[in-house]
Amino acid sequence: MLDVLYAVLVAPFKDMVGAPAFLVEVLIGGLFAGLMYSLVALGFVLIFKASGVFNFAQGVMVLFAALTLVGLLERGAPVVVALALTTAVMVALAFAIERLVLRPLVNQAHIILFMATIGLNFFLEGFGEMLWGANVKKLDIGIPDRSFIVRGVQINQLELTAAITAAILVTVLALFFQRTRIGRALRAVADDHEAALSIGVPLKTIWIVVWSVAGVVAMVAGLMWGAKSGVQFSLSLIALKALPVLILGGFESVPGAIVGGLIIGVGEKLGEVYWGPLVGGAIENWFAYVLALAFLLARPQGLFGEKIIERV
Amino acid sequence: MTGGGPLLVVDGVSVRFGALIAVNRVSVSIGQREIVAIIGPNGAGKTTLLNAVSGFYHPFEGRIAFEGRDRTHLSPPDVAALGIARTFQNVALFKGMSVLDNIMTGRLLKMGGSFLTEALYWGPARRQELEHRAFVERIIDFLEIQAIRKTPAGRLPYGLQKRVELARALAAEPKLLLLDEPMAGMNVEEKEDMCRFILDVNQEFGTTIALIEHDMGVVMDISDRVVVLDYGRKIADGPPSEVRRDQAVLDAYLGVAHE
Repeated sequence: MLDVLYAVLVAPFKDMVGAPAFLVEVLIGGLFAGLMYSLVALGFVLIFKASGVFNFAQGVMVLFAALTLVGLLERGAPVVVALALTTAVMVALAFAIERLVLRPLVNQAHIILFMATIGLNFFLEGFGEMLWGANVKKLDIGIPDRSFIVRGVQINQLELTAAITAAILVTVLALFFQRTRIGRALRAVADDHEAALSIGVPLKTIWIVVWSVAGVVAMVAGLMWGAKSGVQFSLSLIALKALPVLILGGFESVPGAIVGGLIIGVGEKLGEVYWGPLVGGAIENWFAYVLALAFLLARPQGLFGEKIIERV
Repeated sequence: MTGGGPLLVVDGVSVRFGALIAVNRVSVSIGQREIVAIIGPNGAGKTTLLNAVSGFYHPFEGRIAFEGRDRTHLSPPDVAALGIARTFQNVALFKGMSVLDNIMTGRLLKMGGSFLTEALYWGPARRQELEHRAFVERIIDFLEIQAIRKTPAGRLPYGLQKRVELARALAAEPKLLLLDEPMAGMNVEEKEDMCRFILDVNQEFGTTIALIEHDMGVVMDISDRVVVLDYGRKIADGPPSEVRRDQAVLDAYLGVAHE
């Protein structure tokens, strides 16, 4: 009995203190994974905020963007050109979604729009594979997957670049939402469609803007994940990891998506490395979901979500 | 502009929901700087008429002109862009946003600038934000809601929500202000305040106002002209003193003795 308690409650922390450089490496790895989750979660939050729609297709949008990018690179396009073209494709996709999916369903219940995004999910998955093929592809954007050592801590150059890019993207988006005219219009639409229309917010423009931004965020996420582990169908499954992030952070909160992602990334890495051996590993696979479950019980609105208080 | 012509002309407008004709060939014209009250029993089509003017419904016959130009089939955002602002019967505020942010949304159409400078909150975007903020602060002073500036709109009592909604509409510097029951659910004191604000807006900013209201005392006190609807039709239109004595109006409100 005491042995078990010691192994669970004391030994892991002793290991952490015993090898601080290794601990820092684990933390960095966790933060990196967390940032990637955050990026995917961010795509969900953007669309949810502006239209109340849970976009089931966000994960596939990541895959689709990555496939497009790889496809263009394989055909010899320079990195910058390929990035620009992919951005254009994602914006065009936003236009198409607004015109073909959202506009005909305006004023329908949220569940109907949610179903529509499930359809979109299957369509994009098939369309992406039809265009670019279903093989696992290597995504090389010219940042070497090499590491350097600072004070005994190994830092991967690719992960560092990804982290910085993600941090910049997130800061810009947060400022954009809080401070600008379009950001305010987005929040207005999220809050009350009718009132937003009456103050002159054109719904369709707003939808195109959010879906475009969500598309670009998906592209960045696809780029980072793809560079790390190749572009393949399983890329769309990281959307599943974004769900616990959303439950943790709150569906409507940009900072929530970031913090939630980081907590889950760090938590599952620490769990895997220090507690994994006790249970035979694989903590990384379920940690996020168990944490989300705990949150659903204790704080269903998430860390940063808006608590719903209704007058009776 | 159009000089001396009426600001808004509603000409033979009908709005139909399936078999129900909610507004039946109604014609109303509203002159510059007028305060016009639209009254009538429940279900008379007052709000429907307002919705047709603000673009939420489109009439199936008749036309609506603003400043002499036809705008019968415009969408709500386009109507807002013309300079028509409105409030709603059931208060449609952005409940999660602060009062200040709510009112700032009213300035949306007045703002310009590029996506990039805004995203980075640079130079002109920042200056613009500050200018609009200054304007909004004037409205906040005007409507005496300084103390609740930072409160989320959803937490305010009903009377104050109505006032914030008016502030948001005013922030757009509208030429025509449509108020749907601005005093519903208010106590006497709040009603008096609201009356004062409506009259001040009309005088200080020269805003033309059309309002729907049930409180006859209020209607008679503040409006230049009263339009009465009953079962979707216009049954009277004139100064309050005349409308008050109109037999058709009395019948609609008090019922007619049938033999």
